Amino acid sequence: MIWEVFRQEDAGDYHEHCGNVHAPDREMALMFAEVQHARRKPTNSLWVAPKDEIGEVDTEDAKFGGTTDKSYRWASTYDFEAAASEVEESTNEQVEAERRRKVQQDKQEAQGGD
Amino acid sequence: MAVTESLPGPADLSDDQQEAVEHLLYRLADDEFVAAERYTEWQVRSPTLESDLALANIAQDELGHARLWYDLLEDFGYTESELVWERDAEAWRHSTLVERPFDEGDWADAIVRSYLYDQAEHVRLQALEESSYPRIRDRIAKIVQEEDYHREHAENWMERLAEEKDGLERLQDALDSLFPHALTLFAPTDEAVEDRIDDLGIRTRSLDALREDWLDAVVPYLEDLGLDVGDAELPEQYDVHHSEFELPEHLGRDQSHTDAWFDLQEEFTNTYRELGRHKANRIMKDPDEA
Repeated sequence: MIWEVFRQEDAGDYHEHCGNVHAPDREMALMFAEVQHARRKPTNSLWVAPKDEIGEVDTEDAKFGGTTDKSYRWASTYDFEAAASEVEESTNEQVEAERRRKVQQDKQEAQGGD
Repeated sequence: MAVTESLPGPADLSDDQQEAVEHLLYRLADDEFVAAERYTEWQVRSPTLESDLALANIAQDELGHARLWYDLLEDFGYTESELVWERDAEAWRHSTLVERPFDEGDWADAIVRSYLYDQAEHVRLQALEESSYPRIRDRIAKIVQEEDYHREHAENWMERLAEEKDGLERLQDALDSLFPHALTLFAPTDEAVEDRIDDLGIRTRSLDALREDWLDAVVPYLEDLGLDVGDAELPEQYDVHHSEFELPEHLGRDQSHTDAWFDLQEEFTNTYRELGRHKANRIMKDPDEA
């Protein structure tokens, strides 16, 4: 049975796909993944998921992003005069969310560090 | 055990103290080195690529641990060549458990062996955490961390092999042939020196006590899996001298070994001799500098 392996480098990062292992069950898959995917690279966490349980849609089945101009979907497209207040609020919200995420991450790192 | 006074550094030990430290270090270093030598025989031969890599990884860990212990013997002036590549096969002190050859494809042997060995490793490292010899004490933490994976690996495999009749029989066969050799893990190198190791507090539990700890851990576990641990019936045989157990003819610890060891030693020193080497190249920093 094949298990896909996802590695997270630091707390707060996404788990990124890094390969797979053959194993009869989840426990063994984690045990093998540890050796193959976490020993040589900085790792905070590993996930394994049965290959069969992963859904996929690819370019044969779908047109990702479509074919027409979608720029009207982006708030920045509307930034042609003095910023519309909605644009400004949205931008500020994103900046604030990013700031909080960083603070949270720094805090986790500091806790993990001692 | 009473709190023992800390021993001085390597240069200031009395002869008796140094002999005790050396015996203990040879037990540790030789076990790790020879266990790793045998594990590496499974490279490209394990049941799957994954199990191959996992065992190779464990072998690498054990070699790393052997290196840490041999390095402490180098404190007394020995070189790596004298300790490993040029030492007489008759002088090694590892348990016969780790030198036994594998029958071709006998994966259950590798698993049972590592299970028995790593459980013993676990109890003996605990008995060194408070060692009176600072150089040993300081290196334990690093090693202990890596040992958790070894036990998890062995147990995961044991449990899965025990699920089916065929696997269980293979485990039983391996256990029958390995168990007496595993008992030699707790055999003395020399009774007087082992007593001194305990008296000086270099090790905080005696070999007999460690053997009990080990039996307390492995026997119920093996029996739960459906395995029969024949002559290790407890607790009647507690507190008896080693000779009460059915020990193999060769103990390893006392420098007597099975034939398989001499072939193995010949093999791993072959390249060194063939190239006419007199010293070993060092590619890594001394553990004290790293």
